[in-house]
Amino acid sequence: MAAMKKKYSFLTGIVIGSFLFYMLLPIVATYVFSIATRWDRTILPEGLTLEWYKVAFADDWFFIVFKNSLVLSISTVLVSVIIIVPTAYWVHLRNPKARPLFDLISIIPFAIPGVVLALGLIRLYAHPPLMIGRTPAMLVAAYVIFTMPFMYRPVINSLEAVNIRVLTEAAQSLGSSWLRTITQVILPNILPGMLNGGLLVFAIIFGEFTIATFLVGARFKTFPMQLVYFTRRDGRIASAYTVISFTIAWVSSLIILWVVTWGAKRTSMRNTQHTKGLFAGDVVEQK
Amino acid sequence: MSRLKTLAMNWIPLLPFLILCLAIMILPLFFMLRGSFTGSNGEFTLEHYAKMRAPIYAVSFKNSILLSGLTAILGVILGTVIGYFIFQLISKRSKELMTALCDVTSNFSGAPLAFAFIIVLGSNGVLTLALQKYLSWEIYPTFSIYSFWGLVLAYTYFQLPLMVLLIIPAIAGLKREWREAAYGMGANSHQYWRYVGIPVLTPAILSGLLLLFANSFGAFATAYTLTEFRYPLVTLQLGFLLTGEVFRDPGAGDAMGILTLIMMGISILFYQLAARRGRKWQQ
Amino acid sequence: MSYLDLIHLDKAFDGVTAVRDFNLQVEQGEFVSLLGPSGCGKTTTLRMVAGFETPNKGSIFLAGTDITSVPPNHRGMGMVFQSYALFPNMTAWNNVAFGLRVARLSTSAINKRVTELLDMVGLSDAGHKYSTELSGGQQQRVALARALAIEPKVLLLDEPLSALDAVVRVSLRHEIRRIQTTLGITTIYVTHDQEEALSISDRVVVMRRAVIEQIGTPEEIYVQPVTHFVATFVGTINQFPGILVDASRGLVANNNRNWTISAQPVPDGELKEGDAVNVLIRPDEIRVSHTETVVNEENRLTAVIKAITLLGAVTRLNLDFDGQPVIADIKTVDRGRFILDEPVQLSFTREACHVMPDIEPVSRGI
Repeated sequence: MAAMKKKYSFLTGIVIGSFLFYMLLPIVATYVFSIATRWDRTILPEGLTLEWYKVAFADDWFFIVFKNSLVLSISTVLVSVIIIVPTAYWVHLRNPKARPLFDLISIIPFAIPGVVLALGLIRLYAHPPLMIGRTPAMLVAAYVIFTMPFMYRPVINSLEAVNIRVLTEAAQSLGSSWLRTITQVILPNILPGMLNGGLLVFAIIFGEFTIATFLVGARFKTFPMQLVYFTRRDGRIASAYTVISFTIAWVSSLIILWVVTWGAKRTSMRNTQHTKGLFAGDVVEQK
Repeated sequence: MSRLKTLAMNWIPLLPFLILCLAIMILPLFFMLRGSFTGSNGEFTLEHYAKMRAPIYAVSFKNSILLSGLTAILGVILGTVIGYFIFQLISKRSKELMTALCDVTSNFSGAPLAFAFIIVLGSNGVLTLALQKYLSWEIYPTFSIYSFWGLVLAYTYFQLPLMVLLIIPAIAGLKREWREAAYGMGANSHQYWRYVGIPVLTPAILSGLLLLFANSFGAFATAYTLTEFRYPLVTLQLGFLLTGEVFRDPGAGDAMGILTLIMMGISILFYQLAARRGRKWQQ
Repeated sequence: MSYLDLIHLDKAFDGVTAVRDFNLQVEQGEFVSLLGPSGCGKTTTLRMVAGFETPNKGSIFLAGTDITSVPPNHRGMGMVFQSYALFPNMTAWNNVAFGLRVARLSTSAINKRVTELLDMVGLSDAGHKYSTELSGGQQQRVALARALAIEPKVLLLDEPLSALDAVVRVSLRHEIRRIQTTLGITTIYVTHDQEEALSISDRVVVMRRAVIEQIGTPEEIYVQPVTHFVATFVGTINQFPGILVDASRGLVANNNRNWTISAQPVPDGELKEGDAVNVLIRPDEIRVSHTETVVNEENRLTAVIKAITLLGAVTRLNLDFDGQPVIADIKTVDRGRFILDEPVQLSFTREACHVMPDIEPVSRGI
């Protein structure tokens, strides 16, 4: 047992060190590459510059694809909130018998890879007579379903954690109307869950490549699509895109972590670790 | 209030969501299923599934299973070990930082990740050059980031943190008292792990294995960025069938899609079962 | 008609009866408890009064008006829940103010009332705290203040104290009763804890398996139970199995054990001679004395002391009466007079004996 008392064993250092190296090297390398004048001959970059970012921003396409991805992400979040949040509320409070069905539905998207979903949608909707398949609207619909577990789960967990049923009854016993109950009692208490879900959906859709490529392709170019385009054309611009993409992703992750902690304090869900672990286990990102 | 009316009232608000699920999930999959059994003249046939034995498809399946299985196993083993060491860290701050790091890096996948690996281990990559210079080790052309092993490295990158996040709650659930009780009864460290530790961690390990497998099997963007359609993987093959305005061989696409769904479906199903069992033990 | 009338209430869920033919008349200002084991229907009844469940049959009248189909947010009843149900997104102050804001009171009126109520429950300086910062007992007091703020016509409490620890429970129940008496609010209180019900209620309704077993004052329930269940559920009671030998003289005998007990005469109807019965006697109504002592109770028997347990002011004696276990309570100050394995005389009056049909007629060798 004496070994356990030592502060950090050599082994711990090696294991954690290698892990950090593996994880951080690609990230750091990409960031540095994006500000390097040239870095394909030497260990360290030959010089530093912001040239590549300037070139990237000078291109009109940059703002078009950024705007497109932003529009897609925000639309997906909005549609998700409008459709999924009331549904989760209804299932939890008014129709608990439907719960097993919805719990099942909420994990089906994990079993459908992006390519397969794209395939299915194109087969059905992109052929006459239903020619609505290749529109951004269809893409948003597909995205809402694709990210549905990430919105449904946090919201329904939130509803359970605060025991929305009893709170609603308490509000009613005090004379509250439906509207007041929803705005003053229900929404404030599921807000952490909604924010959590919303941020997750936003981050996922902003970086989503597969479904967008096949469903809408060149008709509605997205940020990730442009990134891939540059990986074949000009690696230095691609690195600028990668940096931006990754930065948005990890900033969203950190905001989510912060929201989870803040939400947990509010609803006295003491076991945040449990929540995170549960959540991470549900993460099947688009690759 | 008749019973039928009450029933309808309970389900009507759920319709928008259900209709969306039907339109986007259920119907397309149903038509895919039907299409996989439909021949060119509309008759019932198994030819599309028979086609799957052709080299191009069979090899894709083999590679996908191999890649997914390998990265799943690697992810689980390394993830568990690393998770264990992270858990042993004394300061709460360090643990939180590491967990945050895993949260962030498990999201770093797809095209950006592939590109990052090109920068690091491409033919002129940073690490490639460093190995050349400091260890006189020319990894190319034996190794290429654009090959199977390159994919393994890239996939493991996002599998690893995912497993760490899964295993840490399970390790935290190994109550210290159990270890103390075991030692009190005369067991040594080896026995503790064998009879208590590992069995308790098993649901988490199993669920990790299944989740990682499914995660990897369905991945597309990473592989596409690295190899385009050159390397035979199931998802890449499916993607290839979708390129171009004319739909090449819909039947084969359907069959491949259905087979993929079956594999993913089974993995996710067993993952849910294992994860649920694991969660009970973590209380 | 009384202030609150519950008439022939029936409620079933999925074919399972939760409440059957529930009738109760509550006077204004009265404190009535619904007491029973879990699943007896007490909470369902309360929820019907509140409006969260609709009765399948029957009606509810409040001050002469039929409120059976009035929705819960228009009934003017304050409810305190077992889980407190404080709104986590609001401070204690805002929780209490909620009902007043719904009623659109002026800000000054709200401030005055909330301050008043927080004072009444002893939380004047905790108004700014959120529920996560309050202890269980404090949360329940805020919940009480919140329910009282709207000056409800009826106060409903659903096992409000069961989630609290024992010490807090005792002090809080007295506080609830004190506040209720001061304000004179008609109250219905649901609990499974018979000590709670007996100590603070004007009347108790004992329920079991969807039906009312007995309605009465705490004293009536304890001293004059009308059913076997009420007698055994409330407090401890001794059961002597035997056969009714003489109804007019209330004689019950057990020939195997060789005893005869004189109980009160059994009225016509329920029981007839030859029936298997139980004689139920409270431990505090059995006098314990030395065998030579002359006593004037009608019933006397000799038993051996098997255990002496100090319970506080009362000491419980476990005795053996020829194989039949008997429990008798004595004052702790007297416990020095008795020792283990000592044969003693147990005596009790005929009024202390309650004769009930033997609900599980298993052959006891009679």
